[in-house]
Amino acid sequence: MSKQASMFSRRQFIRTTLAAAGAASVAPMIIPSSALGRDGAVAPSERVVIGGIGIGNRGTYDLGCFLEQKDVQFVAVCDVKEARRVAVKKIADEKYGNENCSMHRDFREVLDRKDIDAVLIATGPNWHATMAMNAARAGKDMYCEKPVTKNISQSLILAETMRRTGRVFQAGTQRRNLPHFAFACELARSGKLGTLKKVFAHPAGMQALMSGWLVPEPAPDQNVVDWDTYLGPAAWRPFNPKLLDGFNFEKGGGFVGAFNGGGVLEWGSHCVDLCQWAVGDCPPPVEYNAPKDGQLVARYENGCELIFRETGWIPLGSCPVRFEGETGWVEAGDSGKLVLSSPELLAGREVQEIGGYPATFHVRDFLNCVKTRSKPKGNADAACNAHIACHAANVALYLGRTVKYDNTTHMFINDEEANRLRSEALREPWRL
Amino acid sequence: MNMTRFTIRSLFFPAALVALSAVSAWAADEQVAAPNKEQELIAVLRSEAPSADKAIACKSLAIYGSSAAVADLAKLLPDEQLSSWSRTALESIPGPDADAALRTAAESLQGRLLIGMINSIGVRRDVVAVDALVARLQDKDAEVVAAAAIALGRIGNEPATAALRTSLATAPAEVRSSIAEGCVLCAERLLAADKSAEAAAIYDEVRKSDVPLQRIIESTRGAILARKQDGLPLLLEQFSSPEKALFNVALMTAREFPGAAVDQALATEMLSATPAHAALIVQAMADRPQTVVLAAVLKAAESGPPEVRLSAIDALARVGDVSCLTSLLQIAIEPDADLAQAAKATLANLPGEKVDAQIVALLPKSEGPSYPVLLQLVGQRRIDAIPQLQKAMAHADPAVRSAALVALGETVALPNLSVLISQAVSPQHPEDAPVAQKALKAASIRMPDREACATELSAAVEQSKSVPTKGVLLDILGAMGGTKALAAMAAAANSKDVQLQDISSRLLGEWMTEDAAPVLLDLSKVPTNQYQIRSLRGYIRIARQFVLPEAQREEMCQKAFEAARQPAEKKLVLEILKRYPTVGTLKQAISAMQVADLKADATQAVLLIAQKLGSKGVDVSELLATAGLEKVKLEIVKAEYGSGATQKNVTEILQKQVGELPLLTLASPTYNASFGGDPVPGSVKLLKVQYKINDKAGEVSFAEDALLVFPIPK
Repeated sequence: MSKQASMFSRRQFIRTTLAAAGAASVAPMIIPSSALGRDGAVAPSERVVIGGIGIGNRGTYDLGCFLEQKDVQFVAVCDVKEARRVAVKKIADEKYGNENCSMHRDFREVLDRKDIDAVLIATGPNWHATMAMNAARAGKDMYCEKPVTKNISQSLILAETMRRTGRVFQAGTQRRNLPHFAFACELARSGKLGTLKKVFAHPAGMQALMSGWLVPEPAPDQNVVDWDTYLGPAAWRPFNPKLLDGFNFEKGGGFVGAFNGGGVLEWGSHCVDLCQWAVGDCPPPVEYNAPKDGQLVARYENGCELIFRETGWIPLGSCPVRFEGETGWVEAGDSGKLVLSSPELLAGREVQEIGGYPATFHVRDFLNCVKTRSKPKGNADAACNAHIACHAANVALYLGRTVKYDNTTHMFINDEEANRLRSEALREPWRL
Repeated sequence: MNMTRFTIRSLFFPAALVALSAVSAWAADEQVAAPNKEQELIAVLRSEAPSADKAIACKSLAIYGSSAAVADLAKLLPDEQLSSWSRTALESIPGPDADAALRTAAESLQGRLLIGMINSIGVRRDVVAVDALVARLQDKDAEVVAAAAIALGRIGNEPATAALRTSLATAPAEVRSSIAEGCVLCAERLLAADKSAEAAAIYDEVRKSDVPLQRIIESTRGAILARKQDGLPLLLEQFSSPEKALFNVALMTAREFPGAAVDQALATEMLSATPAHAALIVQAMADRPQTVVLAAVLKAAESGPPEVRLSAIDALARVGDVSCLTSLLQIAIEPDADLAQAAKATLANLPGEKVDAQIVALLPKSEGPSYPVLLQLVGQRRIDAIPQLQKAMAHADPAVRSAALVALGETVALPNLSVLISQAVSPQHPEDAPVAQKALKAASIRMPDREACATELSAAVEQSKSVPTKGVLLDILGAMGGTKALAAMAAAANSKDVQLQDISSRLLGEWMTEDAAPVLLDLSKVPTNQYQIRSLRGYIRIARQFVLPEAQREEMCQKAFEAARQPAEKKLVLEILKRYPTVGTLKQAISAMQVADLKADATQAVLLIAQKLGSKGVDVSELLATAGLEKVKLEIVKAEYGSGATQKNVTEILQKQVGELPLLTLASPTYNASFGGDPVPGSVKLLKVQYKINDKAGEVSFAEDALLVFPIPK
């Protein structure tokens, strides 16, 4: 299989550079060149003023993608860690050659600023949904890192809140704005593979990540690390520096034992999201089975299967997806390459190979939608469905049995245990 | 009891990863034991167990708890550490007891804990709590008022709605936003229940209140949608608002608005809007593909301010059809580069079944600058128009011929491939050759029957008298791969022509499948081949980079080692052995130690492979003994990394990596990464180590990033 993969990949695709792909492939040509910064002169009225909340490693990467855009003005950073506040201010000030980036420990100060149009939310996953809801209520558009929600209830409220408040929401599912993934999804969605039978996602480990109650250690000064705000809506536990890895803290479901979704949610928020796109962003599957032989099989209303699969992938890099129809299949991964069951599926198109899953195009999509008020690719409805699929899979995984989900009532059918896993309380004073 | 505590603690405290199987097994146990589970969990809450255990007991009770657990959970509500753990259970336990517990706690608690109770009451939508929540709207703590308002909004029954509406008119400014949000939540609930008139009334009250802009945005959107078709005037009113946020509300709500009347209204609105606004309105129009007024979008594309035209041209890629073709073709040859490029991009994706046929129909009578555009579209849209392309290839204008060749490369099928081959090999106009060759390559790599295509190209290689032309065709065959292509390449590599040997050996060195390996190995042994070393390196590349069975790779390494006549190639083989540590590669590395020029490198390879195998539990002591290498006791006494006077003590880092061989591997491939950063950027650095092996002291310096192999002290 791998040999064939190399062969097809090489034959069928013409390598192009990231620069050549550029914003043109994703940015609609509706905004004057000056607004897009093509000529280096962006009128102040065309700038999108951004604040950053929780800017650690991933956030710094995202921030770089924002700073590449000439119509972005980054003006404020909020982080519970002083070191991060200082580091991010340095990046922004060096970029603009001034001292204007303000630093905040309390995100509400950023959300209260009337000059800020949108926020980049890259906190730990425990904060994502709550922060997004706060931002929406404060009238900010937002680019929010994934996983966006911790449970089914949060997913539904997120989508409802974004609709009600009219905010532009982009989940950090940047693969939706990469050409090869987009092409693979389009093949599936448009019927070019025949009736879709199976979509495969790679959860990269159907295991649980812990964010436990570790041995207490003396908490640093609040100005250095604000532990209370770091925990935010997550249930209380004593300070321990091992929990300060915000990227992994409370990453997901938060079921009994404080295990938090693990690979199903961490990677599913990307690869299941792509599967959802392949099935036309329809409601999530209605049936989820317990894992068996390294696979967790879920089923959509129309019979198509969503399969979380650990092995058997063509080596195309991380986050692979595969879509199988009655007449053809396609598989794609983070290398930027895709493999087709038949070269005819390419239909003469050149699919740009952009490896390394950059977020630049996703950020550009977001900024365009901030201006046009259209829906970005990773909009809240799409993110809601994909996350529900992951959460429901986690429920089946946790309970070790089949669960059935009703997309009308948003309840598991005749299954009180499963239904009780749909939500959890937020620590006071936070709410959705 | 003990069993329960063990189970809970084992789930909470272990290492970062918990195996799926363990979790699932536990979950299965839980279900078997479900009848007793609740009592065991309650017992944890009543015990002197650590807070961590009680926290997890609360989470378990969220699944297995009933009214029987409520009293013990309620005792934790005033506990700042465990309150939200307890509420997680109480939010999910069915029945009135949990509601009552939250209400009771809300009576006595204050501040954040009180807010937590109110939030949970809102989650449970406890109608019995409405009076208490209404009373909280008068609380002195603005955060409490906000929580109560949102909770009432979530409950959304008649008394809650009435209280919020009353409060909206009288509440102080600092809480009015939350009250308004509660009102909007009530209105949303009414709208969902098809009580649109009541909903509209609430939305109107909010949007006319002195509340923050975001509340105005939400309520204006709601007021428009609640009125259904009657909401159109209110929607259009927002387009004229001087407030950008309300203009944005119009853009957004227009996309949601039901029916087709709004489409005509948008078309009209666009005409009177400023260019900047019109450009955005066009985009909103195109986001309604079922009912969009296409003629209006097309007209906007044809003339007017450039930014509106640009937006409209872009929109046509989503909603246009064959009726737009003529206009877009005209725009595509306009002097404005932005507009022309946008039109070409839209033409390539213009929807509609009749578009392709119309493009073909236009080709015979096309002349001037639009002719190449049409030809380009044939290629981009994959239209079958070979006769028309052949005709264009004879055109006097090089631009037309070039466009036709590119299009042919995108569309030609195998039966007509010879047309393109002849253009590439012997074009009527020599200046067309590069374009034709590029087109032939594009066609060949997408051809479904690769072997048949390669057969035709191979025949062309044989027939051609020109070595450069043969080289071009071989380059295409190399890009294609496959059995026929490989055979053609091997034949060229074995020819007497040195230039062909050069081209083909280079292409074989880049081959993407391992079937090139035997060809390359044979070539490396042909005395008359001027590219023996290149061929051998190509063979080594396959052994190094490809996914191969262990045995096959080991065999290839052995053959490469035997074929290599220079140490440089033998060292490349040693690198492969290090990269794929197996018992087989270890044996080969040990064997290589017998070669005098390779002894040092081979020893390093042996140690590295042995260490990697050892870390996987493979006992390699006997094999090492055959090489005269034994396990040693390595001690790091002192280690410094840096340059000149700037030295960083890295002793502890090295000490942590010590094993049973005179070799250390670091956590990262570079010293700088392994030692926490570059101590002297821009300077040549050394790692100086004082150490002992079997209690004998030694000292050694390593250049930056060198393999850490420690000589045995004498």
